[in-house]
Amino acid sequence: MLEIQHLYRSYRGIPAIQDVSFKVAAGEVVGFLGPNGAGKSTTVKIITGMLRPNDGRVLFEGCDIEEDMVSFRAQLGYVPEEAHLYTYMSGLEYLQLVGRLRGLDEALIEAKATRLLKLLSLESWQHSPISTYSKGMRQRVLIAAALLHDPKLLIFDEPLSGLDVVSGRLFKDLLQLLAAEGKAVIYISHVLEVVEQVCSRVIVIAKGRVLADAHPEELTRLMSLPNLESVFAQLVKQQDTRSIAQEMVEVMQIGNA
Amino acid sequence: MNELVRKLIDRLPLEFRVLYRQFLLRVIDLEALSIEANVPGFLGQFAGVLIMLSLVHSTVAYIGYVYIPMLERMAFLFHMQHYLIATTMLVVGLATVISWDSTFPDRRDVMVLSPLPLTPRLILTAKITASCAVLGLAILTLNVASGVMLPLILGAQSGPALGAFQTLPAWWFTIVAASAFLYGSVLTVQGLTALVLPRRIFLRLSAFLQLAAFGLFLGVYFVQPSITTPAAWDRPQSQWILASSPSYWFWAMFNQMNGTLPAELSWVAQRAWIGLGFAVSGAGLSLLLCYLRTMKKTVEEPDLVPGAGGLHWMPRLGGSLQDATAQFSIRCLTRSRQHRVAFAFYLAFVFGLAFSVVRGEMAAPGPIPISLDFMLPTFLMMFFAVVGLRNVFSLPISLTANWVLRTTQIRPPEKYVAATRGTLILFAVAPVWLLTACLSLRLRPVVEVANHLAVLALVGCIVAETCLIGFYKVPFTCSYLPGKANVQLFFWGSAIVLVALVIPCVEFEQRALRDANKFGFMVCILVGCALALHAYNDHRGKSAVIHFEEIPDEVITTLKLSG
Repeated sequence: MLEIQHLYRSYRGIPAIQDVSFKVAAGEVVGFLGPNGAGKSTTVKIITGMLRPNDGRVLFEGCDIEEDMVSFRAQLGYVPEEAHLYTYMSGLEYLQLVGRLRGLDEALIEAKATRLLKLLSLESWQHSPISTYSKGMRQRVLIAAALLHDPKLLIFDEPLSGLDVVSGRLFKDLLQLLAAEGKAVIYISHVLEVVEQVCSRVIVIAKGRVLADAHPEELTRLMSLPNLESVFAQLVKQQDTRSIAQEMVEVMQIGNA
Repeated sequence: MNELVRKLIDRLPLEFRVLYRQFLLRVIDLEALSIEANVPGFLGQFAGVLIMLSLVHSTVAYIGYVYIPMLERMAFLFHMQHYLIATTMLVVGLATVISWDSTFPDRRDVMVLSPLPLTPRLILTAKITASCAVLGLAILTLNVASGVMLPLILGAQSGPALGAFQTLPAWWFTIVAASAFLYGSVLTVQGLTALVLPRRIFLRLSAFLQLAAFGLFLGVYFVQPSITTPAAWDRPQSQWILASSPSYWFWAMFNQMNGTLPAELSWVAQRAWIGLGFAVSGAGLSLLLCYLRTMKKTVEEPDLVPGAGGLHWMPRLGGSLQDATAQFSIRCLTRSRQHRVAFAFYLAFVFGLAFSVVRGEMAAPGPIPISLDFMLPTFLMMFFAVVGLRNVFSLPISLTANWVLRTTQIRPPEKYVAATRGTLILFAVAPVWLLTACLSLRLRPVVEVANHLAVLALVGCIVAETCLIGFYKVPFTCSYLPGKANVQLFFWGSAIVLVALVIPCVEFEQRALRDANKFGFMVCILVGCALALHAYNDHRGKSAVIHFEEIPDEVITTLKLSG
């Protein structure tokens, strides 16, 4: 369904991603992992059409998205990393805005928005301004907005951030059901236990390059490591966190008598 | 000198300087500005407009003093004094409205500053200093030339015994006192309302109070008559104006200090002193109570309160994108303090002109013929409403939330241009047209009035189409780059063009209303212009790219270290 081919993007000559290629099939939940600054956000921005690559292309159902961005966007649902919303609107008004921008029928928007807000336990707050919402509530509004138009491709960037345990469990179940419905899902997260549970494939990116692309179990077996966290640490050559933490404590104490 | 100032500033506590700077910058919504925005330059633009006004005032005062005959000169100078005091009070009032709520700590202040080792007294002092700095800058720039020229003229007029040594301090004391009165009154009202009402109700009411204050300041300024001659202030109907208008109180205060106040008006000056006393002590009390009680109330306010259902009707324009744009716009205008105030600034001109029309009609005993006095203000009202709304469209509401508009852009750009056009017509052209229709109910003959309304609608559409040229944005979404719009150039340029073009055009329209051939010709020209501009905008819109930043993305995503 989605094919990323040799993406390259630099900012003033400094490459952010280089030769990034992978595929996401219908019914697949793909984990997209990497440390901070690895190039995940740049890749996602290119996939969502917010940024143009210097080289490479993104194919959706065999067509370059640049050639028909409008059709591609109509099939895309996106939950960004930060819950940036128009906070002076209420949750319901925000969903109405998104529904109208996506050209949905008024009655359909009303029916879907109301039910989604109820299912996400936001019914009581649907008329309150988003500025009063907690982080988790904002995240739930974003998830509802991404599902409103029944997209074929969904990108979730740190969707569990701020969600409580119940909402987190609901979201994990939702991911599996979306895959079963034939949706292609890209799931970006730093919570590797969840990635291990819900993703059928994992792509690890560091310093702008794809380091691994395989099933989580396959990765742990091939690298002879106990879990995905160890695999991730090994792949991205994670620093000795213990010694860094020790150094931070020392810096904090500089100047103390 | 600079060294001395720096040393004095360095003596202030660091925490105070940091807070003061933060509160000062909060007058402008930094999040609305483009990444390359120059904040001092932005403030400088407004200061420049005020300095220009001051120069114009001082020139008018000097020319009047030189050329007006001796017998009429005193009346002219009285009028000039009152005009300058009223204008200063208006500017201070507008500055107070723009920085509404900034003197009292909001929830953000309380949540961010409370955990830090800062005393409420320090926060209070920094807030008041920042507010006073903004007001002081406005007062100084508006009076920089006229505040010297007029006292010098009055000093020379009063004779060598008094001279400018008495007039100059009296003038500046009056200006500062009038400003303190207005600022203090607003703080008193705000502080006491915050104290008495529950926080949520206060926040809702505060928005209405802000608009009410805005309307009051502008309404009084535009509507109150001039009563600065002995004949005028002796009239019985003038007594209530002298008794209730603060600008006349402070005009009397100045003349009392200058020794030029007629004895029969000493009671008016007395009102200024009493009013000043009440406003200053009321503001002091409000601030004290606020920091003792309102801050505590703010902390105790629950984080989450379910919203009420209520009425949620919104206008529909037909298409879903048009509905989305129109509803997004009306919500921005009604719920964002800065956007509301910015649009209210232009609406003030509209209502000021409407008031002037109403006043003329009220003075007539029966139906009156349609004339230039009616037609000219209606065109100006249309111009201010459409251009004002278009300018407010340029102020973004939340740049970080724009991603949703980018990822849902599933229609061609010309559809967005059409949606913006619909919004401009719905919220600017249509209301002004309806207002004009209401204002014209007492005008005759009816056919000429109807023809004028048709012409006004066409002119509204032309102004809206002209405003859309090059505007390939969703309203309230694109970052603002101060300086790019050349506010001063635009302001003065538009004023000159308006004066040069509107009067002859309206004179032609008046003749055309009585001549069917001329009227037909005029309508054909207007329809042609409207259609041509519509077609041009649609054509350009097809190849346009909807943009959300005044500068290319590349600059935003790099640190420009190489540049």
